[in-house]
Amino acid sequence: MEEGRACTWEGVFTHLERLEAQAHEAGRKQEEKEQQEEKLARLKERVEELRTQRDKLQAKVDLQQKGQTGRKGIIESGTTEPSAGAVLEWKIRRLQGMLQAFYLTGISAKLTKRGVCFSISTAYEGTYLDSYYLDLLIRPEVQIHHHSVPIFIPLEQITKRYLKTDIRRCLSVLSDHLNAYARRKYQADQLQEHFSDQLEGTLQRNSLCNLLVFNYKVPGEGKTFPFNARLIYRDLCCSLPTEAVVSCTEKAPESLQETAAAHSELFRHLALHKAFCSFSRAEEREDGAP
Amino acid sequence: MDNTCQVYEDEIQSLEEEIKLLTEQYKDIQQESTFYSEKEILMAIKSFQGEFQGESKGYGSPSDLKAQLESLEADLSFLMKFTGIQFTRHSKKTVERTRNRTVQKHRLSGTCYSLSFQLEFQLLEMQDEEKVSSVITDLCIVMESGEDLNVSEFVSRTEEHGDLLTFFRSLSSYAEWYEHRRRTFLHFK
Repeated sequence: MEEGRACTWEGVFTHLERLEAQAHEAGRKQEEKEQQEEKLARLKERVEELRTQRDKLQAKVDLQQKGQTGRKGIIESGTTEPSAGAVLEWKIRRLQGMLQAFYLTGISAKLTKRGVCFSISTAYEGTYLDSYYLDLLIRPEVQIHHHSVPIFIPLEQITKRYLKTDIRRCLSVLSDHLNAYARRKYQADQLQEHFSDQLEGTLQRNSLCNLLVFNYKVPGEGKTFPFNARLIYRDLCCSLPTEAVVSCTEKAPESLQETAAAHSELFRHLALHKAFCSFSRAEEREDGAP
Repeated sequence: MDNTCQVYEDEIQSLEEEIKLLTEQYKDIQQESTFYSEKEILMAIKSFQGEFQGESKGYGSPSDLKAQLESLEADLSFLMKFTGIQFTRHSKKTVERTRNRTVQKHRLSGTCYSLSFQLEFQLLEMQDEEKVSSVITDLCIVMESGEDLNVSEFVSRTEEHGDLLTFFRSLSSYAEWYEHRRRTFLHFK
């Protein structure tokens, strides 16, 4: 009876194990497939949901833009008087808009539990730059709680002189310092960013940006950088240098020396990046000249 | 399979962005084309307090809104007193709104001590990662400068460069000085 029986109990078990593994694997694959299909179906549904939402919104906006008149804006069909919450939200947004306007004026503030936090904004012409805050306590006397004024700005000197007697003046002077610094930095950054091909390496500057040293050339002058500029801004509330020394190597021709002198004068009256802009324009004009 | 999933996911993301933009556009236009008087605001506050069990319609609790309103009004009131700058009229219109850029046209009128001004400008705000940068263009300033040539020269200079900040900083000090002078003269009359 036992002859030819290749199956031993062990063989059977192995065989059964294999079958079980196969069934398990098939089951898993089936489950995976179903999950994928489910996921795809969900995604498809979501896409359609969003498409409908988007189309509805688009229609609303189009309607708004077509009939933009009237004090109360658009009365959509089916809507009633605006809810009290909507009215208040409208007012809140309006007030926030006014506070933003104050930010644009250079001085804004927020009342705090123990005092007031002033925000001083800086700008170069129409471009707003970093803003700095001065968080003051008012009791027992006016004092600084926190601030974000950089360490190289003489904050202590300014506050010692003005804070307790004339806060407005204090902020004004601080604003002058911060704006002048921001503008000096902006000019140096602009020069580095837009005229790097005319600069030899990087501009050297201190953290207060009131000392700038760089070697430069004017456009179209070959590969050497014949000029060396050293700009000193002694007036910390000013964004133009008080001294501008432009020199070239001793062996340089007369014309170059003259140019250096002209540049020296220019740098004291025109913002740095604007001065470099004028070099490019002069170059263009020369090219165009018959 | 995976590819289709990705295509759907991409579309979902782009639709969500579009919806966000459209919602903001809709809110802008609603905000800018409506106006409620102070009386209507007060009525809204009163009625809102009465219905605090009722649906808040996603506007936040009445006490939160009221607190926020009061806090903003206190800040503004303080600022106007402190800086001497009173804004009497402020309107804005969103001219462009994309994912990273918003351009708004502003009209701002007010007084600084006794000097009145009217401004118009465009404000471009760009979102670049964490930072939002603001740039003023097309600045137009109207001031009754009267006899003072310095003022008109100063105004045209700041206008040319879009230098709104300098305009206000200088206006502030000039107005303060002017006020001081005016009071001194009155005193001597």
